This record gives sequence, C-alpha cells and structure tokens, in this order.
Amino acid sequence: MSAATGQLRSGWCAVLLLVLVSAEAQATPPIRFSSDELRRIQAHGPWPLAPARDPGNAASGKAQAIALGQKLFFDARLSASGQIACATCHVPALAFSDGKPRAGGVATLDRNTPSLWNVVYQRWYGWDGASDSLWSQALRPLRDAREMAGTAEHIAITVASDADLSCRYRQVFGSAPQTGAAAQTTLIGVAKALGAFSASLRSAPTAFDQFRDALARGDRVEQARYPIAAQRGLQLFVGKGQCANCHVGPMFSNGEFGDIGVSFFVRPGVVDPGRHAGIVALRESPYNLLGRFADGDTRADSVKTRHVDLQHRNFGEFKIPSLRNVANTAPYMHDGQFATLQAVLRHYSELNLERLHGDGETLLRPLRLSPGESADLAAFLRTLSDPRAQQWQAVRLQPCKPPAEQLSP
Amino acid sequence: MKPTRRTGRLPGALLVWAMGASAQAACGEQLTAHDRLLAEGSGWQVAFAPRSGAIRVGQPFALDLIVCGNGATAGVPRVQVDADMPAHKHGMNYRPVVTSSGERSYLAEGLMFHMPGRWRFLIDIETAPGLVVRLSREIELQ
Repeated sequence: MSAATGQLRSGWCAVLLLVLVSAEAQATPPIRFSSDELRRIQAHGPWPLAPARDPGNAASGKAQAIALGQKLFFDARLSASGQIACATCHVPALAFSDGKPRAGGVATLDRNTPSLWNVVYQRWYGWDGASDSLWSQALRPLRDAREMAGTAEHIAITVASDADLSCRYRQVFGSAPQTGAAAQTTLIGVAKALGAFSASLRSAPTAFDQFRDALARGDRVEQARYPIAAQRGLQLFVGKGQCANCHVGPMFSNGEFGDIGVSFFVRPGVVDPGRHAGIVALRESPYNLLGRFADGDTRADSVKTRHVDLQHRNFGEFKIPSLRNVANTAPYMHDGQFATLQAVLRHYSELNLERLHGDGETLLRPLRLSPGESADLAAFLRTLSDPRAQQWQAVRLQPCKPPAEQLSP
Repeated sequence: MKPTRRTGRLPGALLVWAMGASAQAACGEQLTAHDRLLAEGSGWQVAFAPRSGAIRVGQPFALDLIVCGNGATAGVPRVQVDADMPAHKHGMNYRPVVTSSGERSYLAEGLMFHMPGRWRFLIDIETAPGLVVRLSREIELQ
C-alpha cells in the first residue's frame, strides 16, 4: 500500500468517524452544566474517602479485629436461639441489607434494615441516631429481645468456649474473654470487633464518580461514557429537585435527620417518634462516646454527642440515608414503605405538605416530576452503585494461632 | 432601636436587635484575616472566625470571637452564639457552648451547618444584666 493510499484511507476513516460522532451528538445532545451545577456536582466527591475509624474503638482499623468481627458477624450462636446472626439481616449480597420492608429477628421490627456499606462515614447510627459509634450500635441488635436476644453472659460464654474466637479475642484485646461478672467486658469487646469489621466495608468508585472526576479534568471522552439519562438526572438532582441540600457531599447525605412527610405510624395508633427518641436514648446510654466504655481521647469525636440539641421538630425525623449503592437497598424509608426507587420519586413528586410538621423543613415542595424526569433521576441514582460491592466475599481466614504464652501450661 | 423581651436562651433579658454589617474594622485583627467575619450594631462589634479554617457542610466547627466597642461596659460581657437558615425556618441541630478565652475573647464550640445555603449567625451580647444586644451576620455556604 502506497503512502498516498494510506493517507486517503485514514482520511476517509476520519471523515466517517466525524459523521458517526456528529450523528450521535445530534441524537443525544450533551448536557451543559452551569458553573453552579458543576460546583455542586464536584461536592459529591472525591471518592473514595480516606479510611476512617469507629470512634471510641481502639480496635478499629486493626486487621485482627476486623477478622474477629467478620467471624462474629456470621456467627448465629451469638443469638439466644442460635439461629440469627448479624448477617441474617445484613446480607452481603443485598448490600448488607435484607430486601424486606422491616427487619426480622426473633420478631418483626418496626424499621427497615439499613445497608452497612460505608457506615464508618456516618455520624449517627440507627434510623433515629440513638448511637454515636458503630460499636455502641452493634450492642443493640445483639441484646434486643426482638432481634438476636443475646445476653452478655451468653455471648461471653460463646466466645470463650470457641477456641478460634477465644484466640482471636485475645489477639485483639490482650486478654482472654471473660465470663461471669466480667461478661460485659467481653460483650463490649465483641461489639468493638463488630464495629471494626463494619468500618472496613467501604465501596469503590462508581460510574458517577468516574463522570464527576472526568468533569473535573475536562475529559470529554470519559464524560461521554456516562449515560445521557443519568446526566439529565444528575442535573435535576443538583438543580430543580434540590435533593443535594440533604443528600450532600461524597456520601450523598449530610448525616442528619429529616421529616420528609412519610407516614411514621408503626401501626394504627402507634407512632415511631424517630430522632426525638433517638436523642433521648443516646443521652441515657452508658455506651455513648462520653461514657467509660469509649476508648481513648474522644473529645473530638464526641463533639456531636455533647452538643446535639433535642428539639420538638425531631419528632418524626429519620436519618437521611446515604445514596451510595441505593439501587441495591430496596425497599426504602425507615420502615420500607416504598418498594422501588420509582415509588420514592413519586413521593417527592406528589409530596403531601399537609403531612409535614408546622415547624418542619420549609424547603420541601412537590417536585411535580414528569415521567421522563422521574426516569432520568432513577437512571442517575442507579449510577451510584459500586458493581463490585454486590460480589463482596468474606476474607478467608486461617485458623488462629495462639501466642506462645497461651500454649504454655 | 426599641429593646424587646427576649424569649431565647437568656430568659428575662432585654434584647436589642441589630442587623449585621459588612464594614471593616480593626476589631479581631488577631483572627485569620481570610476567614474573619464581622457583625456590628448598637455600638458593638464582634469579629469571629472558624478555628479550623473554612466552614464545611456537615462538619462540626468552633468559632473564635472577639467582642469590641462600647467601652463603658464593665467586666466581660456574656456571649451566646446560635445560627439559623431564615429561608428554611430552621436552626442548627446542635447547641453551641461559649466560653471566655481571654479579655473579650470567646470560643464557641459545637456548631454545625447541615445544609448548603444561606446561614445566619446570631450573636447575643449581654451588655448589662438583663440587656442583650443581638448582632447577626449572614453567610452563603456552598
């Protein structure tokens, strides 16, 4: 092939490519984001965030504690019946949720099982934020009569009588698990190991993160890989929808609580008080970050606990969840009352202002979304999922080898 | 400006409402110039700045405050700090605590702005027993 022929062919290829690109551009005109929209989009990253630790938990971040926590997480023997593990409700293949409207342990609960992905970056735990650390949150399902119904003594005996768990416990906490009068110490250790494991569950960048980063560096090729419907949905999310006022930052949540006009009746005549009861419970808990069970200097971590304000408007407020992996965590809201993302969007589209508190958030207005806008928002929300998170596998652990002094008589 | 009865965190105190202003003054020169804000009214000024740099949505922060003006007041006036979002009709979810950190210098801890948008600092100076001057200053948080 002569050089001239080669040039001719490459010229034709270039023309053909231009035609194709031009045709695609005409079919799907690129979204033009305003400078304000671009700034808001950038505020949802970068991702991933730097690793963080469970506050008041000296074991958090330690590989041996994460390993112990993983084993405990899947161990149904911690429950009174021997049938219910943490993983019974926090199913790894379901984004560490359970796919049910309301969680079910010994009995059916009043609230939905939240996903555990990226929980370490949350400020409060539970739909009502009754806990200020992962380890203190873990204590509740372990002991709640409607969930695992364990007792400190039962849990301590379970750990102490299992050679591998006992060995790992000693590795992490420096002493063997105690039973009897010291069973509570073992229970706290179990909760802190579970907190360390939960803190290790961090999902990877998503299609949205790649688009956000591509916008930041002006990479139009990478930007073009992001579905145009998701781009339109993103524009609604940071614009007309005003979703980013609460679902803000890299976690797509401000970590606080809101009343968005969903029903908070548990059953006829019974109300879930939400955040109001959560703050009361937090203050009464001996396991909060101001208590003696919290490790180390918690002055910085406990600012939230010291200063949180109990207000009337906290009635009926529930945690504003992170939207990362949201497409994999149906059903939605604190009691799972919406089966699909489309149902959630319909709620915001047709918001009943009569239902909102008189002293509630005046930001909320019915969005009156068109079917196309709802579809675009759903398309955007689906790009917040890390596909690798669905394939999460537990780390294969080697049997624990006791330190030499443990082997000596 | 007519004093009115205060129903907030200084019960029984008299309140003088003074809208904030952006005038530059020497008050609070020891604060970081880049982040320094000023509220003034009724012969009082309060210069304040976040202790750890920029205020970010959803991040707890503390404020250093310097109270200036009205030299006739004896002693160290009592200061309280709050904030709200007037357009949303809500305040913060956290209650700050103010401690004196020197001659008319204060530290307010436990603030957090949980949404982007327009926030208004509300700074109460108890200039005399039962008499409170309220200064305010709005900022746009992105």
